[in-house]
Amino acid sequence: MEGGEEELTAHETALYDRQIRVWGVDAQKRLSKAHVLVSGLTGATVEFCKNIVLAGVGSLALMDDRLVTEEVLGANFLISLDEYANSNKTVAELCSQSLRDFNPMVGVSVLSGELSQMDGEFFDKFDVVVVCSFSFQNKILINERCRKRQKRIAFYTIDCKDSCGEIFVDLQNYTYMQKKGDETVERQLSYPSLEEANSIPWRDLPRKVTKLYFAMRVLDKFELLEGRKPGETSLADFESISIVRKDVCEAQGLKESHLADSLLERLLAAGKMEHPAVCAILGGILGQEVIKAISGKGDPLKNFFYFDAADGKGVIEDISVHSTVTA
Amino acid sequence: MAEVATEGRWKDVDRLLSRHGNLVSAEFDPRPNLREDIGEYVKVLVVGAGGLGCELLKDLALSGFKNIDVIDMDTIEVSNLNRQFLFRLQDVGKSKAEVAAKRVMERVSGVNIVPHFGRIEDKELDFYSNFDIIVLGLDSIEARSYINSVACGFLEYDADDNALLETVKPMVDGGTEGFKGHARVIMPGTTPCFECNIWLFPPQVKFPLCTLAETPRTPAHCIEYAHLIKWDEAHSGKAFDADNPDHMLWVYKEALKRAELFGISGVTYSLTQGVVKNIIPAIASTNAIVSAACALEALKIVSGCSKTLSNYMTYNGQEGTHIKVTDFFRETDCLVCGPGTLIEIEPSVTLAEFIEKLEKHPDVLMSKASVTHRGNNLYMQAPPVLEEMTRSNLNLALYDLLGKVAKDTVHVSGMTEKNGKRSSSLRKLRVSFKGVSAGPTDMDTR
Repeated sequence: MEGGEEELTAHETALYDRQIRVWGVDAQKRLSKAHVLVSGLTGATVEFCKNIVLAGVGSLALMDDRLVTEEVLGANFLISLDEYANSNKTVAELCSQSLRDFNPMVGVSVLSGELSQMDGEFFDKFDVVVVCSFSFQNKILINERCRKRQKRIAFYTIDCKDSCGEIFVDLQNYTYMQKKGDETVERQLSYPSLEEANSIPWRDLPRKVTKLYFAMRVLDKFELLEGRKPGETSLADFESISIVRKDVCEAQGLKESHLADSLLERLLAAGKMEHPAVCAILGGILGQEVIKAISGKGDPLKNFFYFDAADGKGVIEDISVHSTVTA
Repeated sequence: MAEVATEGRWKDVDRLLSRHGNLVSAEFDPRPNLREDIGEYVKVLVVGAGGLGCELLKDLALSGFKNIDVIDMDTIEVSNLNRQFLFRLQDVGKSKAEVAAKRVMERVSGVNIVPHFGRIEDKELDFYSNFDIIVLGLDSIEARSYINSVACGFLEYDADDNALLETVKPMVDGGTEGFKGHARVIMPGTTPCFECNIWLFPPQVKFPLCTLAETPRTPAHCIEYAHLIKWDEAHSGKAFDADNPDHMLWVYKEALKRAELFGISGVTYSLTQGVVKNIIPAIASTNAIVSAACALEALKIVSGCSKTLSNYMTYNGQEGTHIKVTDFFRETDCLVCGPGTLIEIEPSVTLAEFIEKLEKHPDVLMSKASVTHRGNNLYMQAPPVLEEMTRSNLNLALYDLLGKVAKDTVHVSGMTEKNGKRSSSLRKLRVSFKGVSAGPTDMDTR
């Protein structure tokens, strides 16, 4: 992503005036050359799409072959009622038209297929890959495929579970300029892959790490063992997930009581539901992060972000070797 | 538009409103039709249909609110389109409130949004008292101050100075600039109101005149010199119009000349616009985050489905990502949300004399005050029709006008001055008449 030689057009300068005052012309030029892929269009990812389309990325490719159902409409602002009632288009197709309206200068396209089945070369078209509603296994698989490519592809996952949510960031080896007062210093960050982060024993992590991190992993494990699709859970699963919690906590050296019943119940009951305002917050944070990664400006989040509507707080957890207690 | 059955789309909101929890408020009554009740009975006002307003309307509509009013005095400009996603290029020039309302109603079935294209100061108090909750997406201190004083004006206290719950008008206030923003919950009488915390704002940038005139050091100094000093010298009588590109170009060229003279670099046309128009840099994602936090709080306040934010959230995405929630305390003697500024006067004081006293009273300093008492106009400075109708009250004793009680609350609105800036303001005053006993309870009934 070079910061191009061509100047921005007069229209771009007028349209993007307010944000150019935030991040500068160079960053705007880099944005206009960036290619983003989003697979899994849920409330959270459509909010993200809105934000980066408005910001003026070069292109946005959408992958989601599901046909639209009422459930999908829940937190999805991009699909109008007329479109839903009268069509057998896919979710991606219906969302793409609204996104084009937000900013005709962004190339919004729809790609068919299953991302976990795409080979490495497919990913070379993109600078940023965002996935939602994938099984943990598939997230790891897609993350690995991105990492194997020659060019650095920024990888993100985002998931909204009713009134809380999680974002994961992998920028591999990332160098950027950080402003400290009057000086600008070069900073280097080394991100673990999702698999690497997941392999860090829980007993090695600082005690204050948010319980949501552990609870989400227990949920992932439960879905894997029971062969469920992401979010295919309900309160009736509580007994089964309690057993998973017991086994995982034992193996990880974490006290079971650390993960309250109420927290697991909450995630089970959340299923695939997403609260619209929580999606907007998660989509906003992710939008911010992708803009930072593309422009090379600003400290990126490392490497997990959690938001909980119950207390209105957002926390960043650094789940990597450097953050471990014994390191 | 066909009423498509979309019950499935509300599953998430229903879930929040129909389950018990450990963090719910004492009054929370979870039931399956709580969302419908919210949709039917709750009236919410969104102030501003810009960067925050567009996001707020979307979030509130998707959260189940069905009676929404939105007010904004501006029309759509090209520079809005990078974040005010309800607007398109062909909408430039139209009313923000009207276009925003229309677009959201096209997307969310059953919601009714009434747009108001006008100034917040032009609405009657009745208009505001109609709403159950007011959500602010404003971009100035003055506007926030005004709405805050209106909402807090409804607040009444009992004899023990406790806020009367039924007079509390909750507000949720959001604000953003670049990568930073805040969301706060204001429950008049309980949490700090906007004035209680006004000290949080850094002093507004005002360059000393001598710096502009004699010793400029920065590009902004050169620009303000051209804008505030040179313009009048060269165009005596003609007002400067920030929206006129010729005027802006003139200021830019003059600023450049001055900068060259003093060896200062950095004057650009863009900076000139920014300084003269006080442009706030803005991006979509920050607005999305802050508005969503506000919408969440609005839902919690009207339903009690969860603990509310307590009470001020700041978001900073500039250096990393930081979200902090601080529990600020009220100022117990706040001039706006407190029990009211105490004004002690003799029972013989006329309304005219009272109005005059307000100009000099150190805690009020209000000129050309209009006075209302429990919704009744005692004296209105404008419009002429009302002025004529109420003029006869001026010579009457305030004590008589208030019904010969020892103390009572009145509301006054007029012009006040802060930091050299004049703005309209609304205040609550507790009038106490000297020498008058408090009432029958004080009488010795032996």
